[in-house]
Amino acid sequence: MSARERILARVRAASHHGVPAPAPFVSGPGRGDFAAFAERLEAAGGEARGPFAASALGSRVAELCREWGAGARVLASEAALGWIGAGPWQPVPRETDPHSLADVSVAILCGALGVAENGAVGLDGREARPRALPILCERLILLLDTSRIVSDMNAALAGLPDGALAHHHFTFVAGPSKTADIEGMLVLGAHGPRALAVFGIHA
Amino acid sequence: MSAGLDRRALAVLPDGERRSAHDAAVFNLREKRDQAGRAEPDFERLREHARALKAHALDHLDLLLERFEENASRAGAVVHWAEDAPALNRIVHQLLESRGARRVVKSKSMLTEECGLNPYLESRGVEVVDTDLGERIVQLASEPPSHIIMPAIHRSREDIGALFHRELDVPPGETDPVRLTEAARRHLRSCFLGADAAITGANFAVAESGTLVVVTNEGNADLGMSLPGLHVACLGLEKLIPGLADLAVLLRLLARSATGQPISVYTSLVNGPRPGAELHIVLVDNGRTRLLADERHRRALGCIRCGACLNTCPVYRRAGGHAYGFAIPGPIGLVLAPALGGTEEQRGLPLASTLCGSCTAVCPVKIDLHEQLISWRASDVPRGLRERLLSRFAAACLSSPALYALAGLALRAAWPVLSRRWPGNPAGPWLASRELPTHPGASFRARWRDRVRGAGP
Repeated sequence: MSARERILARVRAASHHGVPAPAPFVSGPGRGDFAAFAERLEAAGGEARGPFAASALGSRVAELCREWGAGARVLASEAALGWIGAGPWQPVPRETDPHSLADVSVAILCGALGVAENGAVGLDGREARPRALPILCERLILLLDTSRIVSDMNAALAGLPDGALAHHHFTFVAGPSKTADIEGMLVLGAHGPRALAVFGIHA
Repeated sequence: MSAGLDRRALAVLPDGERRSAHDAAVFNLREKRDQAGRAEPDFERLREHARALKAHALDHLDLLLERFEENASRAGAVVHWAEDAPALNRIVHQLLESRGARRVVKSKSMLTEECGLNPYLESRGVEVVDTDLGERIVQLASEPPSHIIMPAIHRSREDIGALFHRELDVPPGETDPVRLTEAARRHLRSCFLGADAAITGANFAVAESGTLVVVTNEGNADLGMSLPGLHVACLGLEKLIPGLADLAVLLRLLARSATGQPISVYTSLVNGPRPGAELHIVLVDNGRTRLLADERHRRALGCIRCGACLNTCPVYRRAGGHAYGFAIPGPIGLVLAPALGGTEEQRGLPLASTLCGSCTAVCPVKIDLHEQLISWRASDVPRGLRERLLSRFAAACLSSPALYALAGLALRAAWPVLSRRWPGNPAGPWLASRELPTHPGASFRARWRDRVRGAGP
């Protein structure tokens, strides 16, 4: 008998199938607007801008890149380019070795959804590609259609885009990378982006 | 206190100042947890739901494991099964060795602490770098983590500055957390970019979709999963939950209970490997099926490792995690140790508590921790000789009025001697930081007699 069989036999002997599943959880009334989302994102150390009309987005994003003193390498996904057009950025190279992204100053990607209760943005694996991009970059900009904001995690996970779990990863990002491992003191920029800005786009 | 915890506590946090700082730092997390709970109107309903869904999941664990294996495999992951710590260590080492992986970046996993994976790999020539900042600190200091989510919380910034001066070349006397974190970031970034493989734990595994869920604030697990071509995830059987709706409830509780954040910074749902890379998932028993078969104690397997019970525990706060001598400290460690612990002393850990119940009050999945402790104590947990003799003596006194009176008499007579500090005084540990209380001079029974007589007809 394999380890698998032996473990499963022990688990089967202890699983009685008598405890019913609880009735589905129904969240209390919550807000699903950009202002509520922005408040939570900023509490997590991120920055919310807008919402802006699509036509103004490119210049606003370029403005922030200047403000941040962005380095030479600013990469934008194909979907992001669809919103912001041409600017001081290049398209994400296709089929690249993720190690070659270590010098990316700013990455610009589109969020699949936003969660108002915690300021998290859902990044689809089809968009966050190579997977290393949104975590290796020094600073991260996410574009978020405000009609894609839901009130809480129950709604977010019930409403994942079709195929979201078929492309290696779907990642919720709530603020810049952080740690409090030295005496509990909060420090931003532990391993990943030192700053995160989310630009709301008017539906 | 017992199971050696009192003795080790003095060695771990020897000076009062360090002990107070530790107490304050972890209790601060408890207060943030309270604030987050009050700010979320659904919080108490979420806790109740989480309790029910975990009870359901543990009672259907066989089906969940089979479904998870099927769905994760379909997504391209390879699922392995490990009965115990040596099996886990062997499986991981073989995966690394067969692919020539010598440099490994690892994110936090209490399971691999429990199983001793790091020393096993290191003794076989694999370089393992713990990438969570707190874990890197304790790794450089050659000690285990002292807290489930804040591994280096027992260390001061001065300690860490000195350590980083020695190991990472920061200027002497550096104590600024921002600059220390920056030094670690630079050092660890080069480890990530040079790694051959990544090892992670997992916070949850979702059966219906075959999804691994990995949660961090630093992003270290995500970096590990993004760069090298091999990802090995190690998780205990109890991490299985039925579906995404269950995941939503647990995610809403996890970070709020741990640090007071409404969610951690990175919550990654992983399905299958990155294109061109490999994903291996090791499901580990290591005593969990023993606990599962124990109806009275299986609830402890509902734990989601948030650390809230540590942060509120009066013993943990003052003793520090290393005093427990078990990978998982605090109240949850005490109730897991009898089933998962390897040594006699670890299995005796349920004795090392005050039974105040604060842990039960904060548990996000409502594990009845202090009731579990009482129940373990009633069973045959290993007791030291002193504990056994004292228990027997106390039982004898409490069942014989004459012996009780005699013991009281002896204790009152000895009291002035016990109150003084002298080498070998059995009250010595108490007197180290406070005085013995004064006693009223006569027994309760004598005073009651006088009182009844005084108020007589």
